Amino acid sequence: MRVMSKRHSVSLQFKISSIYILTNLLVMIVNIVLLIGINNMSGRLDMVYQDNLHLNELSDALGVVQDNMTDYLNAKTTDSLEDYYRSEQDYRTMMADLNEQITGVPFDRMERNIRNMSEYYLEEVGQTIEAKRGRNVEKYRIHYEKATQMYEYTAAYITNLNLEKFRSNSERYSDLLKRFKLFESTSLVAIILVMASNACIIIRFVGTIISPLKKLAGSANEVAKGNFDIELLPVESEDEVGVVTGAFNSMVVSISRYIERIRESMEAERALKERELLMEAHLKDARLKYLQAQINPHFLFNTLNAGAQLAMMEGADRTYEYVQKVAQFYRYNMKKSEETVTIADEIEMVDYYIYILNVRFAGDIHYEKHIDQSLLAVEMPGMILQPIVENCVNHGIHEMGSEGNICLSIYYKGEKVCISVKDNGVGMSEETIHKVMSGTYREDNMAAGSNGIGMDNVISRMKLFTGSEDVMVIRSEGQDKGTEVCLYL
Amino acid sequence: MKKDNPTGQRKWNSNPNTWIMLLTIVCVAATLVMAVYVLWFYRSSYHEETEQAVYDKYYMMITEDNKSSIWRSIYQGACEQALEENVYVDWLGDDLFQGYSVEEQMQIAIAAGVDGIIVTANENEGMTELVNRASEEEIPVITLYGDNTQSARCSFVGIGSYNLGHEYGRLALQIIREKLIGQTVTYASVEEDEEQGIETAQIEEVKIGSDKRPVRVAVMVNSYAQGLDQNILCSGIQETIEQERGEKLAIEMEILSVDDTNAFSVEESIRDIFMEKDIPDIIICLNELNTTCVYQAVVDYNKVGQVNILGYYDSDTIINAIDRGVIYATVAIDTEQMGKFCINALQEYHELGYTSQYFTADIRLIQKDNVGEYLEKGDLADESDE
Repeated sequence: MRVMSKRHSVSLQFKISSIYILTNLLVMIVNIVLLIGINNMSGRLDMVYQDNLHLNELSDALGVVQDNMTDYLNAKTTDSLEDYYRSEQDYRTMMADLNEQITGVPFDRMERNIRNMSEYYLEEVGQTIEAKRGRNVEKYRIHYEKATQMYEYTAAYITNLNLEKFRSNSERYSDLLKRFKLFESTSLVAIILVMASNACIIIRFVGTIISPLKKLAGSANEVAKGNFDIELLPVESEDEVGVVTGAFNSMVVSISRYIERIRESMEAERALKERELLMEAHLKDARLKYLQAQINPHFLFNTLNAGAQLAMMEGADRTYEYVQKVAQFYRYNMKKSEETVTIADEIEMVDYYIYILNVRFAGDIHYEKHIDQSLLAVEMPGMILQPIVENCVNHGIHEMGSEGNICLSIYYKGEKVCISVKDNGVGMSEETIHKVMSGTYREDNMAAGSNGIGMDNVISRMKLFTGSEDVMVIRSEGQDKGTEVCLYL
Repeated sequence: MKKDNPTGQRKWNSNPNTWIMLLTIVCVAATLVMAVYVLWFYRSSYHEETEQAVYDKYYMMITEDNKSSIWRSIYQGACEQALEENVYVDWLGDDLFQGYSVEEQMQIAIAAGVDGIIVTANENEGMTELVNRASEEEIPVITLYGDNTQSARCSFVGIGSYNLGHEYGRLALQIIREKLIGQTVTYASVEEDEEQGIETAQIEEVKIGSDKRPVRVAVMVNSYAQGLDQNILCSGIQETIEQERGEKLAIEMEILSVDDTNAFSVEESIRDIFMEKDIPDIIICLNELNTTCVYQAVVDYNKVGQVNILGYYDSDTIINAIDRGVIYATVAIDTEQMGKFCINALQEYHELGYTSQYFTADIRLIQKDNVGEYLEKGDLADESDE
């Protein structure tokens, strides 16, 4: 494993260089081996006839000794004597190389014989020269004849050895040639093998280097097509390819995360826009309904104002106040229904409404307010409270027949502002409450005095305004036990 | 990849990398093996020249010819014995000095400073001188086959010539008794009536062995080289025949001298004998070459049955000829024993300073009735040679 990890941690450059060096090394080793072999063989081919050359030299040297002796015997010159001594010395030097042991090799024994015969011959020659110097004619003749005879034998022996060696060397030469041919074919096979080995090594190593690149390319293509759901590539090595693979992996991860984030924010934006549009739609709807209900609010308002002035001029103060408040109520309805208002505005609106109703129905509605003064400035959508109160009056108190109580409380509940409208009317069944809350309850006949804004509209606008689902709770303890509607801001 | 193969079967076919890896290993291994082989290849040729044994002594054998298998056989015997004694024997005339005479070869051997000489000597003075010179140079000389009694040779290894002669004589008489007695030849004689001037030819049948047509026994001797002691041998033959022939038989002994002064002359002069009118009934040959030549001549001149040959030595040709009945008998010498005797004599001389003066080799008679065992031997020898 350690080796593996070590191998995996080396760089691409190192890997490629290694392959190059390895294959070259292989080629070099085989080449060196072959070169040594060829060199060795050619050297030996050169050496084959070396023996014959030596023997030729030996033979020549022997001839020179004989010639010099003859010269001296002929002319007895100092030069020829000197030549003789020199040639004798030369010949002795050459003789020293000859074998002197008795072995099983015929050539060795022949060399030994030649050596001994040469000694014998040189002795005879020496005696001849000695006798010549002593002018002993008879003696030097005898020695000369013996020496000459010995020269002939020795020369013949050398020639024989030379011939024998030549024959054996020729055989060896052809044997060597055969071996050389064999070596050639062996070399060829070796070179082919090396080539095959190198090819295999290169294919193998390049394969290992290229395969992660191929995978990377495949993955990149997938990504280019837009498919980010690809399996992350395994980082097999820590070389440059490994680094690129790692970078690619993290890039794919980052891109997909980024895309996810963009998608989320777009989703949020879309929801926001949708809510705005919805709110607008509801408002428009409320206003439409209002306009349907109020044929001409301005005209009505001006008419009421004219009526109020007439009452004042006639000294009917209560009529004046009533007409005035009705006019205020409609003005508010006309003005505030489209915008965000404060709780105080809404309370005032409810006040007007209750007053009008009490005038209408001769004051049979008792109206209480428990208001946290600090909450008066809190904003809320307009035209919310009045419809609720209207519902209380129309469905709770009217149907009861007796004296109705409406209690409006505004207070903190937890972090939220709670606006509670409570009546002592007929109450609501659970089913009705559920229908109202889910917006499926429909009033078939709009009660008189209603401004036409339904509870579903109220709930929707509250939801849009707060951005929360829990905007309204309707509680009723049962038949004739009243109803409490709580709004949470 | 592993996920795709939950069974865990390693898929060789689907993984080319494994194959390439294997191939790589195989190729690299093969390359290395090749390199080792190449190294070994020329290493081996380095060491083909093995160390040769070194011998204590070196003897030289010199014979008058190197063609006859008798010498080869003697040399072989000598060699075997020599190798046991850690001595090497060379046969000087074997290949190198074919053209040289025995005397010349002796000179070479002396000059070569060998430790002992085995030579087929003769009684010539020159030979005596050379043997003596060798002795002076402290080279012991063994005379082989032919002796030089006058010289300082240390021992003689050969055959008892007289005994051999006796054996030949006995064989000749055996032939006469078995084959020739009772045979008749037509004998034409021309008588001339001087008065009438008429010549009348008389043709008569004459018995071989009668006075008119004695049995002719010829001993073939070499005129120049005298391997065996021919005189003693001839007298041995003669004496045996004289003593054992009986009164009635007329036997004529003659000596046929064969010219062996130069190469090929032996064969020619033997052919000359067959060209003559009177061809001997029995020819006794005293060496291998003569035996072979006579045998061939008898076959060529269609004289089988008329001429009986007593041969010498047991070469394959001669043995086969006996088997076919062309040669009546031959005398075989235990040549290997002779070779051994030579080496033993030299070794003994080197060790003790003296040795026995004579060594006599055993002789055996080979005839039709016992030729079978020699034939088998020959065949076996041939097979073992192969």
